[in-house]
Amino acid sequence: MRQRRLLRFHGLKRPRIRQTWNKYNLYNLYRMKTPHIYSKTFFQQKWIAKGLARGYHGEHIKEYQWERMFSRRLLSAVNMDPAYMARYDGSEQAAGRGSGLQVAPGTKESDVPRNKGNLNARTPYMQMVFAPMERRLDVAIFRAMFASSARQARQFVLHGAVTVNGKRMRHPSYLLNPGDLFQVDVERVLTATGQPKRPNQGGNKSSSSTPLEDVAEEESEPSEDAAAAESTSESQPTDAAKEAHRKALLDLKERAKRFMWAKNDALRAKQKKAIRKILRDIKVALSRNTGKQEEYDAAEAELTSLVDNLTLSPAELRAKRDDEQRKKSELDEARLEKHKADPALLTPAQHKLLAHLAASEAENPYDPSKPYATPWRPRDWMAPFAFIPRYLEVNHRICAAVYLRHPVARPGLAEVPTPFSPILSQLAFNWYLKRR
Amino acid sequence: MPPRLPCSSPQPQLLLNSLEQASASAVAPSVALTPLRRRPSASSSPSASPSPASASWTTPRCFSTTPARPETKLRREFKEWLKKNEPVIRRPAGEVGSQAKPGGTYVTKFHYGSDGKSNPFPNNPYFVSQPVLSERARNWIWYQVMVRGQPLKAVSAQHGVDVRRVAAVVRMMEIEKRWEKENKPMATPYARALKQMLPMADLAPNEGPFEPINDIHVHSYTMQQLFVPTSESRQFTRADAAKAFGEHILPPDERMRIPELVDYERDIAKGVDPDAARDKFVKATAESEKALAAKLRAAEQKAEERRIRVQTDRFEFRIEKINSEEVGPKGRARNAVGWRYGVPHMDRRRGEHKIPTSVGM
Repeated sequence: MRQRRLLRFHGLKRPRIRQTWNKYNLYNLYRMKTPHIYSKTFFQQKWIAKGLARGYHGEHIKEYQWERMFSRRLLSAVNMDPAYMARYDGSEQAAGRGSGLQVAPGTKESDVPRNKGNLNARTPYMQMVFAPMERRLDVAIFRAMFASSARQARQFVLHGAVTVNGKRMRHPSYLLNPGDLFQVDVERVLTATGQPKRPNQGGNKSSSSTPLEDVAEEESEPSEDAAAAESTSESQPTDAAKEAHRKALLDLKERAKRFMWAKNDALRAKQKKAIRKILRDIKVALSRNTGKQEEYDAAEAELTSLVDNLTLSPAELRAKRDDEQRKKSELDEARLEKHKADPALLTPAQHKLLAHLAASEAENPYDPSKPYATPWRPRDWMAPFAFIPRYLEVNHRICAAVYLRHPVARPGLAEVPTPFSPILSQLAFNWYLKRR
Repeated sequence: MPPRLPCSSPQPQLLLNSLEQASASAVAPSVALTPLRRRPSASSSPSASPSPASASWTTPRCFSTTPARPETKLRREFKEWLKKNEPVIRRPAGEVGSQAKPGGTYVTKFHYGSDGKSNPFPNNPYFVSQPVLSERARNWIWYQVMVRGQPLKAVSAQHGVDVRRVAAVVRMMEIEKRWEKENKPMATPYARALKQMLPMADLAPNEGPFEPINDIHVHSYTMQQLFVPTSESRQFTRADAAKAFGEHILPPDERMRIPELVDYERDIAKGVDPDAARDKFVKATAESEKALAAKLRAAEQKAEERRIRVQTDRFEFRIEKINSEEVGPKGRARNAVGWRYGVPHMDRRRGEHKIPTSVGM
C-alpha cells in the first residue's frame, strides 16, 4: 500500500521541499517563501517550522528515530591564521581594560593584529539543526549526487549496491565516521542520474536505428546475383548493384553486432572499440550508398583480423601490431591517392575523425541492454540541484566519496544544505529541544 | 467527489456531459482550461456514449464519467515557468539546446540580487555551493603525493586544501588508477556532465586557497562569556584563556592541524630566508608524518601481540585477553564484555538496532 505521506509528494498546492531532483521540487524551491507565522503562537510557529523542515530533512525517517539522533550541540569551526598565531600570543586582545587597545587612527591595516581567514559575519548555528542527518549513509549518497533522491539512495543501500570501506553495507541508517569511503555501483548511479529510457528507445532494434537503415532492413527481396551485379558496379553502379552492396554491408553489420553480443565478456575494450568503429564505417558507407566493393572488403578484413586476434598469444599480437603500424602509414598514403582519384571516398583526415568519433562512442556507447537511455546523458532538471558540500570529497568517475568530517558552521557559512531560512531553522531547533 | 455513473445507462451521463460542457465553456473559454485530452468528455456529441463502436473514444473503454478537471492556475504557472526557463536550467552547459554556462546554475538566478552561481537555496544565504576539485587538480595532488613523495601536510599547505581531503583524493585516485588497469567500466560520461554543472577549482596559483586548512573546532566550554579578574599588567595569553575555560581545554596552538605552519611563519617573522624556512617546514612535516605512521604501526603491533589467531577452514578466530573488571561504574562501559548480573541489556529497548557503528578499513 502506498504510504499516506507519499501522496502528493511534490504538490503545487501545499508545497514541500524534498530531497529530490524533481522539476516540481525545483519550482517549489524557486517560489518558496517563509510562511506567515507572526500571528501564530510560539508553539504553532515551532510546529509549522518543524513540519516543513522535516519534510525535507529525512522525511523517510521516522520521527522518533530523528529525535534520538538530534543533538543540541551544534558544531562550528574557526580558522586560525598561522601568521597571526606566530606573531601574537593573544595577549593584545586582553590588553588595556580587558578587550584590547584601541587602534590609533592612521594605523595601517597590516599592522593591526588580526586573525585572518574567516568571513566577517556571525556563525549561523541555527542552520546546523539537521547536521546529524547528513551523517546517514543514504543522505550522504544523495549529497554526493549518486542518487536522484534520498529515498532512491536508501534503496541502493538496501539492494546491496553500496559499500563502505570496501565492505557491503545494507543499513541506510549507518552513521558515517570521518574518513569512511563509500562507493555505489556505477551502473546504479548511471541509471539514477541518466535520462530514463523512453518506450521508443527500448531494446527494439528497428526503432533505434536510423530511418535509412529501417528502409534497408524492411526490404525483403534477397538479391541472388550479387557477384554478377558487382562486376558492373565498378564502371556504373546500377540500382540493383547498389541494392546488393547494401545488403552485403547490412549482413556484415549484423555479423559484427552478433559477434560483439556473443563474445561480450571475452572481448577486451580495445577490440570492442574496433568493432564499433567497423559498425560506424558501415553506417557511413550505407548512408553514402555507393556500390563500392572495397569498402565492404576493408570492413570484412578488419572484422576477420579482429576475430583472429582473439586466439593470438601476446607475443604474436605484438608482432602483428608492429606490422600493422608499418602498413598503416602506407595505407594512409594509399587512401590519399585513392581520394584524389575518387572524391567520394574518405580522406585520411576524415578517417581520423571517424576514429575519434568511434572512440567517444566506445566511452559512451549506444547499448540497448542498459536500463537507462544510451548514449548516457544527464537527466533533465538536474543541474540546478548540483552541489557537493565541503564535508564530502567525491570522485565521480568511480562513484566513490569520502566523508571527510562532520559538517560545521563557520563565520558566515553553514555546511548543512538546507533550503530553509534561519528563522525557520531556529524554530525547528527549538521544537526539538526537550522543553517546548 | 462528483458522482460516478454506471456506464450501462447512457441517459444521465449524456445529460451530465452536456451540462459539463456548457459550464466549462461559459466559465473558462481559455485554451489552458480545456479538459485534458485523455478524457473523452471534450467531445460533446451524442457519440460520446460509451458504445465501443464510437469513433471518439481513444481508449477502448472508460469507466469514469467524471469530466477532467480543468488545469489549475498553479499548474499553468508551473508549466509556464518551466517553459520560460527551460533553456537555462533543463540541461547543463555543453548539451544540445542548452544556454547554461559551465559552473553552478541555481534557481536563485531568477531572484533579485543574485547571480545564481553559488546559492542553491533562495532562502538560505548561508549555504554556498563551493567549488570542487577538478580532475586536473586531483591528478596534480596525486602526482605530488604518490610520485614526488611530498608529505600530505606540505601539499595541503601549498594549495590550501585540507589534509583530510588530500588523503581522500589520493585514496580515490589510487582506486581509479587500479580500475583503469583492470579495465573496469567507469562513469566517465557522468563525471563529464557534472563537470559542467559544478563550480570547479583548478588549484591554479591565481585562485587563492581552496579552503581554510587551519580549522579548529569551537569547544562548547569556550562558548560561554567568562569574566576573569587579572591585573592590568598581566600578559593574558591564549594559553591562559584556555585554562580559564577549563583545566582540560587546550589552547589553539596545541590544536592546530599543521603546527609546523606556525613554526614556519615564526621563522619568516624572524627574517629567515623563505626558501630555507620552506625546506625546514617540508622536512618537519615529513618527520611528523613518519612519526605518526610509526606510532600507529607500534599500536597495531601491540594489539597484535595481545591477540591469538586460530585459522580454521572457514573462520579465523581471534582470541583476545580482556579484563572482566573493567566495566565502569554502571557496568555498561563501552568496551565491557559479556553479561553482568543485574544490568539489563540495552539492545532490547525500542528502536535500538544493532547496526555497525564503524567499518574497519
